[in-house]
Amino acid sequence: MTIVHHPPDELLTAFAAGMLDLGQHIAVATHLTGCRHCRRVVHAMEHVGGGVLTALPATAMSPGALAAVETRLDGLAPAVATGLRKAATGITDVPGLPPFVRDYPSSSWKWIAPKVHLRPIRMPEASATRVFLLKSQPGTKMIEHTHTGFEMTCILTGSFAHAGGHFGPGDFDFGDGATDHEVMIDSSEDCICLVAMQGELKLNGIIGRLLQPLIRM
Amino acid sequence: MLNDKPDDATSDAARWAALIAAVAREKDREAFAALFTHFAPRIKTFMRRSGASEQSADELAQEALLAVWSKANLFDPNSAGASAWIFTIARNLRIDALRREKRTRTAGTDDIDLEFQVDDGPSPDAGLAAAQTESRVRSALATLPDDQLRVIELSFFDDRAHAEIAQTLQIPLGTVKSRLRLAMNRLRGLLGDFS
Repeated sequence: MTIVHHPPDELLTAFAAGMLDLGQHIAVATHLTGCRHCRRVVHAMEHVGGGVLTALPATAMSPGALAAVETRLDGLAPAVATGLRKAATGITDVPGLPPFVRDYPSSSWKWIAPKVHLRPIRMPEASATRVFLLKSQPGTKMIEHTHTGFEMTCILTGSFAHAGGHFGPGDFDFGDGATDHEVMIDSSEDCICLVAMQGELKLNGIIGRLLQPLIRM
Repeated sequence: MLNDKPDDATSDAARWAALIAAVAREKDREAFAALFTHFAPRIKTFMRRSGASEQSADELAQEALLAVWSKANLFDPNSAGASAWIFTIARNLRIDALRREKRTRTAGTDDIDLEFQVDDGPSPDAGLAAAQTESRVRSALATLPDDQLRVIELSFFDDRAHAEIAQTLQIPLGTVKSRLRLAMNRLRGLLGDFS
């Protein structure tokens, strides 16, 4: 799998810094699951985080903090590695998802438009960013649209093209409010994407305005 | 400190890694106290700058060091440097604290650890000793121009979007992004191995 499109540096940095909300975190984690290159960037940024932490000035701890912590040490059991669980009930039938997302309870695919199905990801935390899977059949042409917020798309299977380039499995498509999208599914198999989105979609053109109330994304 | 000579940085990184190993192996309380003395006050600053109150920053720093004690057996010096490893503990505790504040779920930090597990395979750092990576990162940071370093620092502990960082530094948003990009490129170049 050749990955061409990666998340921008500031997103990878924010991921390593723990600054993303869960929805955004899921989108970046999905890309990282398939992208060794970006995993290394994040790993290096965690080292940068360590460097930043070490270089911070000290703030005096409350008196007796060390003694208080020391009295609690004996009661602590050693941690057990958080191994990868194989979820039987989670999202097991979609490739490329990070392990923790596979563990989320599954929903079923819902029809939202001709040749397009959507499957919400039910996150355990409230998040300002919605996350869903989108499955489009070959040859689907998505209506031109703009966003009021941002949209992160991770391609899991199949491929699509728009003015910004061609996107296949592992690629990350970052759209902000300025992006105009007319997306063409150009693979011979279904194109499944994980989408994290803030704000509302605005469909352009008269057809789009007629369809808008029907398409709840 | 960022301006340390690389040699000092290397010996610091190796010393901290040895202290964590001693905690894991022998439940060495002297080693733990040394880690506490160095890291707890800095984690407290990290939490304060992320918006935590004096009291909860103190508690979170204590929690972080308790986690260092109980997770020391999971520390893999070949995968992560000591301060990077402690940073990820503090980072995940901060996420956990923010979620508890919003009362969306009473999640333990274990869940957040899982959220950062994105790879079934071995660590990405194989081939380059972590202590070495750590000291190279610190040397690399030390050579960044101040304006780039400031953007990197704010990216790590300031719970604000880049737009707000731009406001804080009174520079345009595009400048924040371009400084971050410059800093990242420079770090990439200096680290060489990670991209």
